[in-house]
Amino acid sequence: MTTAAVPRTHRQKEIRRHLLLYAGVTPFLFIAVFPIYWMAITAFKQEPDLYRMGNIPFWFNLPPTLKNFETLFYQTNYGYWIVNTLTISAWVALITLLTAVPAGYALARLKLPGAENIGIAIFMTYLVPGIILFLPLSRVVATLGLQDSWWALVVVYPTFTIPFCTWLMMGFFKTVPMEMEEAARVDGCGQLSALVRVVLPVSLPGVLTSVIFAFTLSMQDFLYGLAFVAPGDQKPVPVGVPTELIRGDVFFWGSIMAAALLVGLPVAILYNFFLDKFIQGITGGVGK
Amino acid sequence: MTVLPVGDGAESATRAATQPAARGRSTRAWWHTNTGRRLTFGYLLLAPAALYVLLLVGIPFLFSLYLALSDANVGDPVARFVGLENFRAAWEMDTFRDALRNSIVFLVVAAIFKSLLGTSLAFLLLQNFKGKKLVRALVVIPFTLPISVSVLSWKWMYDSQFSVINWGLHKAGLIGAYGSESWPIWLGQPHLALLACIGVNVWRSFPFSAIVLLAGFTSVPNEVLDAARVDGCSFFQRFRHVVTPMIFPILIIGFLFDTVFTLSDLSVVYLLTQGGPGSATMILPVLAYQIGIQAGSLGRGAAIALMLVPLLFLALFLMLRNLKRRD
Repeated sequence: MTTAAVPRTHRQKEIRRHLLLYAGVTPFLFIAVFPIYWMAITAFKQEPDLYRMGNIPFWFNLPPTLKNFETLFYQTNYGYWIVNTLTISAWVALITLLTAVPAGYALARLKLPGAENIGIAIFMTYLVPGIILFLPLSRVVATLGLQDSWWALVVVYPTFTIPFCTWLMMGFFKTVPMEMEEAARVDGCGQLSALVRVVLPVSLPGVLTSVIFAFTLSMQDFLYGLAFVAPGDQKPVPVGVPTELIRGDVFFWGSIMAAALLVGLPVAILYNFFLDKFIQGITGGVGK
Repeated sequence: MTVLPVGDGAESATRAATQPAARGRSTRAWWHTNTGRRLTFGYLLLAPAALYVLLLVGIPFLFSLYLALSDANVGDPVARFVGLENFRAAWEMDTFRDALRNSIVFLVVAAIFKSLLGTSLAFLLLQNFKGKKLVRALVVIPFTLPISVSVLSWKWMYDSQFSVINWGLHKAGLIGAYGSESWPIWLGQPHLALLACIGVNVWRSFPFSAIVLLAGFTSVPNEVLDAARVDGCSFFQRFRHVVTPMIFPILIIGFLFDTVFTLSDLSVVYLLTQGGPGSATMILPVLAYQIGIQAGSLGRGAAIALMLVPLLFLALFLMLRNLKRRD
């Protein structure tokens, strides 16, 4: 530290370290991002450009086009699927909020006997895979008369959003200081108004996170949508694209990739911001 | 798997009633006491979520056991009890045995690759470097993209003639031209097809493994590591004896999550190969779907889906035994 040469060697060391790290990270980045890049470039390519094996396929050999997107909106049910997806997710988010937020609050703060075990039991149901439930649920859906309508998915999706979000809200409510409610109760608030007026406002970030997860987790489903919703105009995007845009052996790759990109990317980005919360949610209860 | 000890009003009532009354603190009815009010309020708030989960997860799970023991099918609503007939019949199907074998191979091979890739990525992301946040955000995209959507991109990359993977391999001189012996048809050749499906699962989940590991690593306090270093532990000793035991609970959860997802996911195989060629890529979820929904044989399908439960328990058991040994 006393000579002038030290800082420079330190910097050289830093640069070497960075280069090594970048070299290590690059293959991972390539593997992770290439399929998405390939999806994006295919979406904007003209049909003949997809099938010219003589050219380098990684860039446009013919001018880029928006035709694939046009086909999607004018010749398929894609518009319906987007509306369905958004409506389904909004309903699922609403149902999840109305059930998971109160449940998380009760389990975290009201010192109910057995609260911890009830919480774990509810969370464990998140681990019951859809593939075990979809056949009995198909009966439930049929009994409710919802087969062949996206309402079936509004009923079914909360089976995985409620457990996850209840668990998430439990964690959030535990971080709110107990004194807040006590103060509110001293001031004459009832139990409900203490919750609504004092605890909920400071837990808004948690509530927002639950809404985001109700949306993103709903979009991750494929099985329930495939099994319960057959009519072409009732499907959500993640089910409609792979089942309706592929007809026999004819693939409209440009439109398929455009459809996948248009919905996949916003979901991926939104989820990206909340990924740490997701990981915390599933590991948090055990880590401590 | 899901026995729900969901508390109901009656349980809380007896508890609340016995406690204050026994101490003779009050002669009021139990629901007028503070404890009684709190518990009533609490269970009322809990009830909607608990009932939803009970009605649409707990009961359907039991109902699937019932279906598996009956000859229920879509056309005929009156189901007859047939005992273990569905399980026996499934066991005698060649396709079922292929599906069981493939599911296990799929799970094990994918887990090996995911842990290798996930661990190396986690170690890289543990370092500090410029642009780390961006790298992290990009590298987790496979996990955050809806699976049925990203599988489509892979289907296009695995195209029999216009596969971009083959284009690259061909230009690198590793394989011959289209139509030659060495031109791989990813989804058309039995062994390659299974590998191709496993590849998509690994691609989708290795960022998850990395992020879970990373969450574990960062939860280990630096003081603990420093103490171990002072005691003269090498990097690998520190890793093996200090870090691994500390992050093990998180690892188990991550592993369990991924096992459930991998074993029960139908979208990758369903969208890439439908289980073909032949039954080379048939796995239990796809078979359960084909028999339960497409063929309408609810009982048989439920029986096949339930065969996943022992596999899930086996994975859980192996993990827990490992955990115990460490203690």
